[in-house]
Amino acid sequence: MSEMKPVDQKVRIDIRKLSFFYGATQALKNVSLPLYDRKVTAFIGPSGCGKSTLLRVLNRIYQLYPHQRAEGEVLFDGEDILDGGQDVNLLRAKVGMVFQKPTPFPMTIYDNVAFGIRLYERLPKSELDARVESALQRAALWGEVKNKLKDSGLSLSGGQQQRLCIARSVATKPEVILLDEPCSALDPMSTAKIEELIDELAKEYTIVIVTHNMQQASRVSDYTAFMFLGELVEFGITDKLFTTPENKRTEEYITGRFG
Amino acid sequence: MNRALYMRRRLLDRAFLALSVSAAIFGIGWLALILGELLYQGVGGLSLKLFYEMTPPPGSDGGLANAIAGSILMSAIAVVVGTPIGILAGTYLAEYGRHTWVAFVVRFVNDILLSAPSILIGLFIYELLVPRMGHFSGIAGAAALAVLVIPVVVRTTENMLLLVPNTLREAAVALGSPRNLVIRAVTLRAARAGIVTGVLLAIARISGETAPLLFTALNNQFWSVDLNAPMASLPAVIFQFAMSPYEDWHRLAWAAALLITVAVLSLSILARIFEAKRMSQ
Repeated sequence: MSEMKPVDQKVRIDIRKLSFFYGATQALKNVSLPLYDRKVTAFIGPSGCGKSTLLRVLNRIYQLYPHQRAEGEVLFDGEDILDGGQDVNLLRAKVGMVFQKPTPFPMTIYDNVAFGIRLYERLPKSELDARVESALQRAALWGEVKNKLKDSGLSLSGGQQQRLCIARSVATKPEVILLDEPCSALDPMSTAKIEELIDELAKEYTIVIVTHNMQQASRVSDYTAFMFLGELVEFGITDKLFTTPENKRTEEYITGRFG
Repeated sequence: MNRALYMRRRLLDRAFLALSVSAAIFGIGWLALILGELLYQGVGGLSLKLFYEMTPPPGSDGGLANAIAGSILMSAIAVVVGTPIGILAGTYLAEYGRHTWVAFVVRFVNDILLSAPSILIGLFIYELLVPRMGHFSGIAGAAALAVLVIPVVVRTTENMLLLVPNTLREAAVALGSPRNLVIRAVTLRAARAGIVTGVLLAIARISGETAPLLFTALNNQFWSVDLNAPMASLPAVIFQFAMSPYEDWHRLAWAAALLITVAVLSLSILARIFEAKRMSQ
């Protein structure tokens, strides 16, 4: 583990001794790491290392499936989100998520973005319009869709659909955004746009991104966690982890010798 | 390259193709013959009178108005009652139940119901309603048809919901939506075209059913839209008239058969259009 821990950074989510089980199979083993406020943290590692699992604990989406359970603590602003008493829908309102494949709902572009807002707020039409516009602006999609808000969200291209999903996430004003390999189904142009967007969003939100692409991790993140076989191998400032890794396995992975 | 082997494979390929094509022609040929005969015999009996005159006694002029009205009325009630039950049950199986044993049992029973002979359904409703009411009735006919609608709609609803990718559910849940909203606003909506197709197919299925109506709605020679009384229907009229020795009844039976076929065909085409729409999404 890296000793680099700048004192002036505020920890937004503190993962402590987290273990995760799919039935009898343990997918995460005693993972502890901090996620810093308004920074981008990347989870990297070979397939099956547990990076997506870790992400899916942060909004408790794993609870959709029986036989999946988490042990340990995940403190979000000091409160343990794994505590059964927490309102899971309120948690998810604060922690947005974007998936590997774009997931536009089968409704208009406008309704896609308004969907999350309408869950929590009753706004007059003009205010709702403004919120939808600002979310689309933030996702760098407004220019492309402002004249066809009533078209189906499914009519957009893959890259546009992914930005629509980002707009839908930011529209509910979350504090944390989880990105699960958001570019793996996209072409290089769309990927570049999403990466620019992540830079922009990091000014306001705490971002966690899971990626297979190490160049992407080094480009967009401030901190990187390298995971292997359910364990956190190394965590630290991205530039340092990629140039002078402390662990031999990290070095082997980022230089492409395995994984 | 082994030339002999290659030639043999090519010959086998030809033979297989020839077999498949002749089997297809054989099957479709019978269907074409049936449709041709139906058109030939049925078109002669077609006239506007079918739609406003009642089924006649032998030897006099008449139409099918009471039977058409009865068929439409009973089918409509069956669909209105059966569709919501079917959609809700299918939603339970695909969304809430999935791996529970309750869902397993319901799914199993539903599959049995789906392939149960319709005459059994007729007998069941007969036992349940007719002796209690003391007479045959349109409502008993509608009930029997509804029991036929439900398993078809349950099956298609479940199948269509299972085709909705899980990531779409996760995306809605990740926004903090409660489960019922995820289902109503996202997954049912994504499966809508497929579910509509299922309902149309259910209508097509019940519009030709005779057996379940014979024990329940029976038949009625006169105009009647009273659900508490025996009610005429096109299949029952075909059954009665085709078995009779009267020439003019035969003509009406052919016309009724043609009407049902055209109606079912139109519904199937409509279902195909919805299906195509679903695929293009």
